[in-house]
Amino acid sequence: MKNKIAFWIITLLFTACLIFVAITTIIRPVFTKNPLPKATVRNYSEEKKKVGKDEIINPGEDTATATETISNSKDSQNKLLELKRKENLLRSRLILATEDSTYLVLDLINNLAILELKGIPLHECHIIHATISNSIKLYNKDALLGWMAEPFVLRNVEATIPKISYVEKIAPKDTLEANKMVTEPKEAKLGDVLVVMEFERNLRLIISQNEQPDADGLKLISDIRRKYNKNEISRSIQALTKFNREPVKPQIEIVIPKSDATILYKSLPLSPRLILKM
Amino acid sequence: MEIEEKKSRPFLSILIWIIPVFLFCLSVMMILYTPVFQDSAFKVKFLFAGKSLFEGKSPEAIENMVLRSGRTISSIETKLEKLKPVKPYIVVNTTENRFSLRNVDGDTVRTGVCSTGKNELLIAGNKRIIFKTPKGIFTVRNKQQNRPWVKPDWAFIEDGLPIPSARSAERIDYSTLGDYAMEIGNGYMIHGTLYQRFLGLPVTHGCVRLGDKDLEVVYNTLSKGSKVYIY
Repeated sequence: MKNKIAFWIITLLFTACLIFVAITTIIRPVFTKNPLPKATVRNYSEEKKKVGKDEIINPGEDTATATETISNSKDSQNKLLELKRKENLLRSRLILATEDSTYLVLDLINNLAILELKGIPLHECHIIHATISNSIKLYNKDALLGWMAEPFVLRNVEATIPKISYVEKIAPKDTLEANKMVTEPKEAKLGDVLVVMEFERNLRLIISQNEQPDADGLKLISDIRRKYNKNEISRSIQALTKFNREPVKPQIEIVIPKSDATILYKSLPLSPRLILKM
Repeated sequence: MEIEEKKSRPFLSILIWIIPVFLFCLSVMMILYTPVFQDSAFKVKFLFAGKSLFEGKSPEAIENMVLRSGRTISSIETKLEKLKPVKPYIVVNTTENRFSLRNVDGDTVRTGVCSTGKNELLIAGNKRIIFKTPKGIFTVRNKQQNRPWVKPDWAFIEDGLPIPSARSAERIDYSTLGDYAMEIGNGYMIHGTLYQRFLGLPVTHGCVRLGDKDLEVVYNTLSKGSKVYIY
């Protein structure tokens, strides 16, 4: 009898616990918070000055005047969607082409990662595999337009390789010392790469290498992954105490060859921009 | 029969405790793997996905939007076209120490190895000199054949030699830059090298070194004003 009561008390307690955890960490953030906030359309006066007198039309400016509710043919809607996507992409490219820094174009339709400067593709690499989280993949294609309307700006980055590394050398005192210091240059060994980039509007981009990492590389890679997992766990625990969890971070993970991953990471500026094509 | 019943009861009572244990484990799993559960929850959410942005708009409004979008696209395309280089250009990859020479249409006409900055920090007393190739967009400002190199101070510091006066003849070197040199600003150049065996390695003080044949082609293809993209 005692066991029976204990069983029911514990079962009810754990059921309540499960419901609370599910609502706080999963159901509420997923169903009530928009993971893909709309891009804030900036003032384009600077771009206008740089590009020319013609104005750059802001996304979202095209709003239909008619309010009549008529079911439209799917064809014209699809055509408009395609045009809007192209327009967004070209506008983002134009904005970034007026600046003097390299940026990344992630073309998930053709599986390409392109490093561009002033509209010129400098380096192109094939994406071997891309994993896109459901919060992006399953979103209405036309609703994604607002999210991708502007280039994404990097907020935070973690990587297993340094962006810039210098070898320090103390100047020799005389020619004898200088001669001793002369060494045959060697090809630098490429380190294993995992780059986690967190952009504005909640986007997280993970660039990982296709090749199997060595023991040291594996440790560095798992350290970064563990760090992000820990952050997620602490967010969930905080959510349980405050009954409020921040919006879900949509994630895109691309797998590319190690050499390309190194080039992309090392060539991008400290605060790079990203254009998404999908 | 009675004995059998008595035996099965404790077994069942133990088995039934799996339920609260499972509930507890699931709660812990939800905390540990929140992103995975959230991602699955999105599948459910999008079963009841909201309506399209264009739903409820009249065909005329959609047609207007199509026209306006088409106009904007062609206007942006024209502007992007204007930004394209009007002369052949060169792209230098400092990570792999490779270059590609492209024509005005962007087609690659020649590729090959080069040498770029060795990413070294030379410390000489209070002075700190960085040997690296700058990244970005540059313009060929000047082209010269058999250009002598006027050695800067760091060339002497690096060799452990006393620094001569600014106009000293010791500073002039007639062989280092090779047959052709193209200035790209801030003292950086694209030039030849005596150390052909180091091509493909980061060994320079910031300039871009090319092999003799590549250098000749690049020199003859690029003109003053041609763009140099370094990444």
